[in-house]
Amino acid sequence: MWETIIVNPFTNALLMIYKLIGGNFGVAIILFTILIRLITHPLMVSQIKGSSKMQEMQGSKEWQDIQKKYKGDKEKLAQEQMKFYKEIGYNPLSSCLPSLIQIPIIFGLYQSIMRALAPSPMQLLTLTRTVYPIFKIADLVPLNSKFLWMNLGQPERVYMFSVAIPLLAVIVAITTYVQSKVTMPASTNPNDQGAMMGKMMVLYMPLLLGYFALTFASGLSVYFITSNLLGIGQYAWVGKVNWSALIPGKKPVQALSVRKK
Amino acid sequence: MKKYIVLIGLMLGLAMVLGGCTTGLMASSWPGMTADVNNVYIAGGSYVYAVNLQTGAQVWRFPDKASAANPFFATPVLTSDGQLIVGGFDKKLYSLNPKTGQSTWQFTDARDRWIGGALAVDGMIYAPNADYKLYALNMQGQLQWSFEADQAIWGTPVSDGVNVYFGTLGRNVYAVNARTGQQAWVQKVDGAVLGLPVLGADQTLYVGTYGGTVYAMNTTNGGTRWSSAASSWIWSGPILDGSDLYFGDAKGSLYAHPLTNTGKPWNQQLNGAIVGSPVVTADNIVVGTEAGNVYFMDRTGQNARPIAVNGKIYSTPIAAGDLVLVAPTAGDAILVALDQSGTIKWSFIPPK
Repeated sequence: MWETIIVNPFTNALLMIYKLIGGNFGVAIILFTILIRLITHPLMVSQIKGSSKMQEMQGSKEWQDIQKKYKGDKEKLAQEQMKFYKEIGYNPLSSCLPSLIQIPIIFGLYQSIMRALAPSPMQLLTLTRTVYPIFKIADLVPLNSKFLWMNLGQPERVYMFSVAIPLLAVIVAITTYVQSKVTMPASTNPNDQGAMMGKMMVLYMPLLLGYFALTFASGLSVYFITSNLLGIGQYAWVGKVNWSALIPGKKPVQALSVRKK
Repeated sequence: MKKYIVLIGLMLGLAMVLGGCTTGLMASSWPGMTADVNNVYIAGGSYVYAVNLQTGAQVWRFPDKASAANPFFATPVLTSDGQLIVGGFDKKLYSLNPKTGQSTWQFTDARDRWIGGALAVDGMIYAPNADYKLYALNMQGQLQWSFEADQAIWGTPVSDGVNVYFGTLGRNVYAVNARTGQQAWVQKVDGAVLGLPVLGADQTLYVGTYGGTVYAMNTTNGGTRWSSAASSWIWSGPILDGSDLYFGDAKGSLYAHPLTNTGKPWNQQLNGAIVGSPVVTADNIVVGTEAGNVYFMDRTGQNARPIAVNGKIYSTPIAAGDLVLVAPTAGDAILVALDQSGTIKWSFIPPK
């Protein structure tokens, strides 16, 4: 099931792009990432709007009144929060669903990259059985796994004076940090747990994705970097990039009332 | 708050799943093996094992502590001075003592995995690596020269004493001077060369390709003497027995191609893709298929008798004494010994 609906179509899409552009797998990954971002763009817009609305909502007097009023009754608090969501027309899933959708895409893409590059016999044998009949597999194999200074099927290292430097992992960590930082909605509420968790994510996500880039095939890092840059671009497109968040010590500004009249 | 906990949990899960994909939950190749009069040596995943030929019992295994991320699959090779040479996915080429399994030296210059087995001949070790290079070492593991080809080299090279011959995934066959490492010639073929070539009489080199063709090439200049098309891709190279060339393809056809005018070509349709090469014993031609059958048949391709083993057979079987050894993938046992009648004598299941 997973193979049929995710990995096989991803692999064949990558191969199709690779063939169309004349055999550059790095560019194929970049174009494929753009394609995925375009397809998931409506979800991303929904996430951006959802996050903004949530931030506004949590900064509102009504929300804070509910928190205070039902502090000792968690069940009632949850009911009132749901009621409040309904009143203002907010779907709590709208801000996290697009992030969750990214996870199977990352996993599927990683498997597809490794399968398409077929760096070992079993992966080549599997690729042979995966490609759609429109391709003549013997003409495609081996894929050109070199892109810029990288071997896309291997973790990347740049050797300087015999020292292996994981340049790509650093770039992945930096772009992830920048993306998380500039796209995190501003919050002035000191009790905003979502904002606190968001700040933790700003720290942990670059480390996690940097670790992936350090450990796994560099093709995945190309995806991460492209995806991060496109993510910033998408936020900029809808006017939600907060560049000032990159400046240390800059205080955010928060809207107040959101209840529908 | 819950959603972030879920998100972090999922990301950690993703890390584990991605890690699992690259660290051996899924086999990335199939075992390679070789044998002497006492033992069979098999690079069978996390370890290299020495297994007693008579009893099927483990004699030793290497290394002491396995790493699932760095398995061993390259066919080990025994040298004339008593070493066992085997490469791992950890990019290291090891010399082991075949009696004890202790490492005597390691070659660590390669930048990628050792997928193809080395060739040990004339006091030299010619080791192909996925980093596109063929490394020539002396018997102490010291680099004598290296030759960079156009693509990864997965098949064991062959040598006639003058040149070393090998194919690459880049659809090229190379001849490199065995002493200097200088390229003698390079010849384009119709598909990646995944297996090893074989040398015949009259300065002919036979190579099977992923494009589904067997080429007979002139060893002096790489010129094609003739070629023969199979019905699908050929993974492992052809084998030569006397004046007959045998090879199998992805559609399960086993071909016999006589090199003399008196011989009669034949092909036998078997169940399952043939990935490994066949082996010729005193009585039989033996070949394994992906469907998990070992076929014994006579030299005319008749009387094919399938023997089912648990697993898929991608590795080339080997003959050792009276036994035929097959190395199934994705089964319980990584090594099964059969006699010439096809009766299973023992199976080797690695201890946990």
